[in-house]
Amino acid sequence: MASLRLVAILQTDCPTCRLITPYLNALAAGGARVTGISQDDEKATSEFVSQMDVRFNVDGDPEYQLSRRLGVVTVPALYLLDEQDRIVRQESGFAKSALNDIAVVLDLPPVATPHDGAPAFKPGCSSRHLERATEDAAAPALNLHSPRGTEASLVEAGDDEDPFEYCFRAFKDSLPVIPPTPERVARMLDAIQRDGRELIGRIPPCYGEATVEKIAANAVMAGCVPRMMRVLIPLVRAVADERFNAHGVQATTHFAAPLIIVNGPVRKELHFNCGQNVFSNAARANSTLGRALQLILLNLGGARPNGIDMSALGNPGKFSYCIAENEEESPWQPLHVEMGLSAPQSAVTLFAAEAPHGVSEHAARTARGVLKAISYALATVWSYRACLGYEAIVVLGPEHVRTIHRDGFSKKDVAEFLFENTGVPLRCYDGEPGEGVAQRAMYKEIRIDGEPCYQKFRAPEFIKLVVAGGTAGKFSAVLGSWAAGPRGSQLVTYPI
Amino acid sequence: MPVTLVNPLNEAVAQAQIPAPRLVRLQGKIALLDISKPGGNVFLDRIEHLLKERYGVTEVIREMKPTFAKPAPPGVIEKIRGANAVIEALAD
Repeated sequence: MASLRLVAILQTDCPTCRLITPYLNALAAGGARVTGISQDDEKATSEFVSQMDVRFNVDGDPEYQLSRRLGVVTVPALYLLDEQDRIVRQESGFAKSALNDIAVVLDLPPVATPHDGAPAFKPGCSSRHLERATEDAAAPALNLHSPRGTEASLVEAGDDEDPFEYCFRAFKDSLPVIPPTPERVARMLDAIQRDGRELIGRIPPCYGEATVEKIAANAVMAGCVPRMMRVLIPLVRAVADERFNAHGVQATTHFAAPLIIVNGPVRKELHFNCGQNVFSNAARANSTLGRALQLILLNLGGARPNGIDMSALGNPGKFSYCIAENEEESPWQPLHVEMGLSAPQSAVTLFAAEAPHGVSEHAARTARGVLKAISYALATVWSYRACLGYEAIVVLGPEHVRTIHRDGFSKKDVAEFLFENTGVPLRCYDGEPGEGVAQRAMYKEIRIDGEPCYQKFRAPEFIKLVVAGGTAGKFSAVLGSWAAGPRGSQLVTYPI
Repeated sequence: MPVTLVNPLNEAVAQAQIPAPRLVRLQGKIALLDISKPGGNVFLDRIEHLLKERYGVTEVIREMKPTFAKPAPPGVIEKIRGANAVIEALAD
């Protein structure tokens, strides 16, 4: 309808405002009456208009009067107004569906197609009038690599209420937490020297903003030392990485939980345990980093048990699941080097893992004997007749590593041996129908010790090796995956 | 003295969506969405048969997510947009 006009409230340094501008241009080119309202000064606005080739008028918003009157919370904010300036429709952020709906209302063809390279939806930035006045002067004029999130609010426990009990009630976790007082959060922020409002990632499946300040508050609750912030920042980037697919990992009915593997010098600097009891509660660093990640996933990602987290049996790793590689006991390249980083670089790796399945092998005296024991555990990952769709991490204990290395196996030899020797005998498929049976036409038939078998894994790369644990005891562990590969969750490694 | 704490939770307010009006009768376009779980096609084949035979539905769209482990890509959503109803096969 020609009598309607579209007002778009924009910021010049907001990536979502930049994303939406070509679509607003298209609406204007089609004949829509579009007016932009910039929340920034004239200089920044004219640069924005020139850079983005804006084809509609852009006015200023002195003192944010219009933004305040309209109650803008997030930009870009779109308002369809009738002749009496009444709001007919309003939208915030970027959504292709909303833009196309607006086009229909304005008697125009759709402006956003599904595969034009832009996402279907992208949240916007906080309106300028809701930012702290002191920050405006110091904030860089245009820093697209440093988007900011919303400042955390403060909450108050009642006068008579124990703060720990208040945290149980307000934050709904099943374990006690250290109350995130502003002083404790400030100590975390001091250790990292970053703007508290810097947005590190959005945590699936609810995509809550993981700002530095929110990460710090959850790190306090978990009991992290302030220096752990430098591990938490890349860890949050890793968990928000689309390849890891936290959206699925957090919502599945399966057992999967994010396992953190720490590599490099940071293990010593922050006292991570990579030796005895590596999966247990032996070191504050492991326990609190794993717990902090879980709190971030719950509090910012929103997948609470029996709400969005639908795991049928759950996983003890959802309390905390963090190991470090025992690089000193390994004759081979550590995991992060295999993943393309340099040895002196510290790193975090995330893997959607089942609970560890122990492999005790005290009697074997050869590499082949030890690896055979491990291959039988690997063959049962996910379900004994299901092949190809899964991967696994093998955590090799130092005593097993010594036996294997003594027989001249490189790390690549180990992965290849396990790949070639892990399979499911064809006779297992003769009985009842069940998991993995219907897919057998896709499986590859091999012979293991003369017996016809289906090969369990797709390639040796689907078996990742990590050396960890104490030097006494001939044990290793197999950790199965969730749905693997681009259609499920992929292992991700981030430098610290 | 009351204790002040930094709010550690996601503070974004979820926008409530009004559910689409319930259908009075089955007519027009009905979409059947398979999320790629094993057996989804068996279930939806039967549903399609019943819709056509018992309820006289003439237009059935069959769509499939590439993986159950991730949200439906925009292309899949686009194809079922505008259907009067969507029946989704969710489980194994």
